Amino acid sequence: MSVALALPTRRVEEWKYSDLAHALGEAGFGDETARVTIGAPPAGIEIFALDEPNRPDWIAAHYGKLRGNPVSAISLAKARGGIALRVPKGRKIADALSLEFSGNGHARALLVLEEGAELTLLERVGPETRNSGLEIVIGPHARLDHVRISPAADAVQVEEISVKLARDATYHGHFANFGARLSRTELEIAVEGEGAEVELSGVSVLSGERHADVTTHVAHDAGHTRSTQLFKKVLGGRTRAVYQGRVTVAHGANGSDSRQSAKALLLGDRAEADLQPELEIFADDVKCAHGAAVGDLDADSLFYLRARGIPEQEARHLLIHAFLEDAVDGIADMTLRETVRGAVAAALVAVTA
Amino acid sequence: MSSAALETKDTVASLGEKYKYGFVTDIEMERAPKGLSEETVRYISAKKGEPDWMLEWRLGAFRRWLAMKEPKWARVHYPPIDYQDAYYYAAPKNTPKKQSLDEVDPKLLETYNKLGIPLSEQMALAGVAVDAVFDSVSVATTFKEKLNEAGVIFCPISEAIRDYPELVKKYLGTVVPVTDNFFATLNSAVFSDGTFVYVPKGVRCPMELSTYFRINASETGQFERTLIVADEGSYVSYLEGCTAPKRDENQLHAAVVELVALDDAEIKYSTVQNWYPGDENGLGGIYNFVTKRGDCRGDRSKISWTQVETGSAITWKYPSCILRGDDSIGEFYSIAIANNFQQADTGTKMIHLGRNTRSRIISKGISAGKAQNTYRGLVSVYGKAENARNFTQCDSLLIGAECGAHTVPYIESRNPSARIEHEATTSKIAEDQLFYCLQRGLGQEEAVALIVNGFCKEVLQQLPMEFAVEAQKLVGISLEGSVG
Amino acid sequence: MLDIKNLRVAVDGKEILKGLTLKVEAGRVHAIMGPNGSGKSTLSYVLAGRSGYDITEGSITYNGEDLAALAPEERAARGVFLAMQYPVEIPGVTTMMFLKSALNAQRRSRGELELDAITVLKRVRAKAAALNVSEEMLKRALNVGFSGGEKKRLEILQMALFEPSLAILDETDSGLDIDALRLVAEGVNSLRTPERAMLVITHYQRLLDYIVPDRIHVLAKGRIVAEGGKELALELEAKGYEQIVKDAA
Repeated sequence: MSVALALPTRRVEEWKYSDLAHALGEAGFGDETARVTIGAPPAGIEIFALDEPNRPDWIAAHYGKLRGNPVSAISLAKARGGIALRVPKGRKIADALSLEFSGNGHARALLVLEEGAELTLLERVGPETRNSGLEIVIGPHARLDHVRISPAADAVQVEEISVKLARDATYHGHFANFGARLSRTELEIAVEGEGAEVELSGVSVLSGERHADVTTHVAHDAGHTRSTQLFKKVLGGRTRAVYQGRVTVAHGANGSDSRQSAKALLLGDRAEADLQPELEIFADDVKCAHGAAVGDLDADSLFYLRARGIPEQEARHLLIHAFLEDAVDGIADMTLRETVRGAVAAALVAVTA
Repeated sequence: MSSAALETKDTVASLGEKYKYGFVTDIEMERAPKGLSEETVRYISAKKGEPDWMLEWRLGAFRRWLAMKEPKWARVHYPPIDYQDAYYYAAPKNTPKKQSLDEVDPKLLETYNKLGIPLSEQMALAGVAVDAVFDSVSVATTFKEKLNEAGVIFCPISEAIRDYPELVKKYLGTVVPVTDNFFATLNSAVFSDGTFVYVPKGVRCPMELSTYFRINASETGQFERTLIVADEGSYVSYLEGCTAPKRDENQLHAAVVELVALDDAEIKYSTVQNWYPGDENGLGGIYNFVTKRGDCRGDRSKISWTQVETGSAITWKYPSCILRGDDSIGEFYSIAIANNFQQADTGTKMIHLGRNTRSRIISKGISAGKAQNTYRGLVSVYGKAENARNFTQCDSLLIGAECGAHTVPYIESRNPSARIEHEATTSKIAEDQLFYCLQRGLGQEEAVALIVNGFCKEVLQQLPMEFAVEAQKLVGISLEGSVG
Repeated sequence: MLDIKNLRVAVDGKEILKGLTLKVEAGRVHAIMGPNGSGKSTLSYVLAGRSGYDITEGSITYNGEDLAALAPEERAARGVFLAMQYPVEIPGVTTMMFLKSALNAQRRSRGELELDAITVLKRVRAKAAALNVSEEMLKRALNVGFSGGEKKRLEILQMALFEPSLAILDETDSGLDIDALRLVAEGVNSLRTPERAMLVITHYQRLLDYIVPDRIHVLAKGRIVAEGGKELALELEAKGYEQIVKDAA
C-alpha cells in the first residue's frame, strides 16, 4: 500500500484552522515509534503486541481497516509495534482499563469489543510530539465508555480515533483537552449497525497560547441510530479552540437522530474560537439539529450572583464551571468523572489567573 | 384556508406547464464571435462604446482570469464547462436603446408582458421602476425622469460608464475586487450590461427599483454587473428577477453585484431567482455562479439581502456583508428550493470588522426529488469588532428519500465581547401536519405548498409586497411533482 | 436607613430617573407605584448596583454609607436584597449550591463564620416548607425550568434565608395567579420586623391588598409625583395613573 506522506497545510479544507505542516516544520513527526502502554489489565482482556509475529485473525480482520484520515495513514505506515486488545464475547469488565500513549513519533492501538462485551477505557497521553491512531471496533450489543484526558503540552499532538459500531452497540466518549502547541483530536465514527448509539462530549480549557482542535465525523450509515455531541470550550490568553463536527446520514439511514452542540467562552483578549458544525443529510426520515455559540459570560447571570452577595471573581468562576458542567456530567464512571472535574478545575486556575 | 394557500392552490392548479417562462422570443440577434479571447473582450467594449480605462480594466481582468482555476469546494457537480464553446455577447438587433418605450421592439415588450413584467407606464401605479436586461443589453429603463427629479441615478451600467465615469471609477470593483474569484474575474472581463444605481445624500428613493434579467439567446452566457451606491443617509429598495427559456443545453450565468452603503444609508436587495432549472431528468438549466457582496462602509449603515432561489440547475451564490462601519447591520434572508436534479450551494458571509456590528441570518432550505441543497455560511468576527452580535437560524426540510440537505456554517470569533449564536435543524416534512391538511380536504401538493410556505414565512415576510405574492406561488410551483 | 436625594440616572445616555428623592426608615414598608416606563425597575437596579445605570447627579445613602460606591456583592453583604422581576436562569449551578455559596459569601464579607453544608440545608429546609419550595426544586439548576410562581417563591425563600435589612421587591406580583400571590405575600409579611425596611415596587394595587404599605409614592417620568398613605392605592385604582399625574402637576 502506498501512502501520501505529505502533511496537510491550512490550504487543505479539513486542516484550515490547524496548519500541521507549518507547526511541525521539515522534520514532520519523524520515523520513531512512540510507546503504547496499559495499566494492570483487568482479568478477561486479551493483549497482543503488534510487533510480534503471527497476528491472530481478530487483529488481521480489523487492524488498519477502519476509516482514517491521511495523517492517521502515516502513523499506520510508520509505527512499528503498538498494542491490540480484545474483550471477548459477553465479557463485562467492571474495572477501568488505562491505556497511555507516550514518547515521540508514531503510535497505533487497536481495541476490539466482541458481541455483548463491556469496558471502560481511560486513555492518557504524554506531553511529547506524537501522531497516534486508535482503532475501536464495538460488536453487537457491546458497550465502550471511553474517557481521554490530554494534559497541557508544548508539543504537536495529533490523534485519530476511528470507531466502528455494530448493531445495538454503544459508544460514549469524553475528551478533556487542555491544548498543546498544536493539538488535534479527530474522531471518525462509523455507525454501521441499526440501533447503535453514540454520545460524544468534551471540554477544552486553554491558557497561554495553546491550541486545541477537536474534529468529529459521525456517519450514520445505518438507520435507527442516535448520536449526540456536546463540546464546550473555555479560552484564555491568546489560545485557539477549533471544533469541526460533521454528521452525515447516509441514503436510506432512516430514523437517524442527531444532536450536536458546540459552545465557546472567549475570556482572553486575543483568543479565537472557530466552530464548524456540519450536517450532511441524504435520507429524509431524520431528526438532526445543531447549535453553536460563542460569547462571554452572561452579564445578567453575573449580576444576579453578585446581587446575592457572591463577589465578582467567585461569581465568574461559578459561571465558568457551570458552563462546562453539562459536558462533564455525562461521564458514567464516577471516579473518572471526578478525575476530569479535577483536571478542569486545575486548568481553570491558569485561565482565569 | 389562508389566502396564501388559496393563491398557491390556484396557481398550481392553473399551470399546465411546470416552468411557465420557458418560451423563446424569436428576434434577430447580433452576437460576438463564439469563444473567449482578448478579441471578445475588445469586441464587447467596442460595442458598448466604452472609454479606454474601462477596456484596460476588462483586459486586466481577462489576463488574470487566464491564470485562475475554477473553484471546486462547493457541493455541486457538473461536467467541465468549455468556456470557448459559448457566446459572450448577444443583443437584439434593434438597439441602440430607444428614448421612449413606444420605440422598443414590440416583441420585447410582449416578452416582458408574458413574464409578468409590463414595462409600460402603468408600473407607476405599482411604484416600481424597471430596468430590463435582455441577454447582454438593457432594453428598457422606466421612470428615469421621475427618479432624476429626486436625484437618483438608475440606468444601465453601460450608460453609467459613459455618463458618470467618476462615480463608476470610484466604486466599481471596490467591493468585489477584479481578482476576487474565478467567476467574478470572468465577469469583470466580459460583463455586457447590468444596472447602476446611485442614491444621493439624504434621499429616500421614491420608488422600488427593479431589474429584470432575461436570458433568451441560445449558447449564450449572461454576465451582468450591478453596482448600487447609497450615499450618506439615503435609502433604496431594489428588486431583481430572472428567467430563461427551456433548453436542453446548460447556459452560464456569472453575475457580480456590488453594494456600497455609506454612513446611515440602507440598501434592501431582494431577488427572486427563477432561471430555468432543467427538466425532471436533469437535462438543461442555467449554471448560476454569482458573486454578490455588500459593503457597509459607513457607520450605522445597513444592508439587507433577501433571496428566493427556485431556479437554475446549479446555484453557487453567497450574498455577503462586510460590516466595516461601526454600528452597521447586515441581514440575509434566504429561501432555497431545489427539486429534481437541481443543486444549490448557497449562503452568506457576515464579516464583522467594526464595533457594535450586528448580523442576522435566516435560511430556509427545501430539498425534493433528487436535488442537493447546501447552506454554506461564514460568520467572522475580527479582533476590533467589540460587541459584535450575530444570530443565525438555518432550517432544512426534506421531501422524499432521494434528496440531500447539507448545512455548513463556519463560525470564527476573535473578540471576547462578541456574541454569536447559530441554530440549525434538518427534518422531513411533518407527517402529522401533512395528514391534518389532507384530512381537511387539501390535495397532497396543496398541502405541501401550504406547509412549505409556512416553513418559509419568516423570509417571505421580508420581501416587498409585489414580490411576496409571486414568491409564494413560486414555492408551490417549484415543488410540483415532489410528492405522490 | 435609605436616603435618596435628587437622584438622576441615565441608561445608554438617556435619562430615566430625573431627580428622585425618597427616604425609607427601618421597620417601614414603602410602595413605589407607577405606570410602565416611569423608572420603577431602573430604581431597583440602581439600588442593587447593576452596571449600565449611570448616576449623573444626586446621592444614595444607606445607613450613612454612600451606596453607589459599593459593588453589588458589597451591597448584598450589607443587607440590600433585590427580589427580581425576572430571576435569571443559570444552568449548571444547582439551587442548593447557589444558596450556600451566596449565604457564605455574605457571611464572609461581614466577618462571620461560614456555615457548613448541613447547617445551610437545615436553614433552607426550615424556610422552604412555608413557601412550598420542594426538595426537588432545590436539587435542580437555579431557576432552570421553574414556573413563574416557583421563581418568585425561590426569590422570597432567599430573602428569608439572607435576612436583609432592606428588601426591594420588584414587580413580585407579575405573572402570579391569586394563590401564588397569597403565598408570596404571606412569606413577605412574615419577614416584616421593626429592623427591616421594604420597598415594594408594583404597577398594580392588587399586591398592596396583601402587603399593606405604610406609605405609597407614585413615580412618573422619573420623579415622585404623589405621596400618601395606603389609601392612595385605592385612589389610583379608581382614577388611573393619568389623572393622578395630572392632579399632581
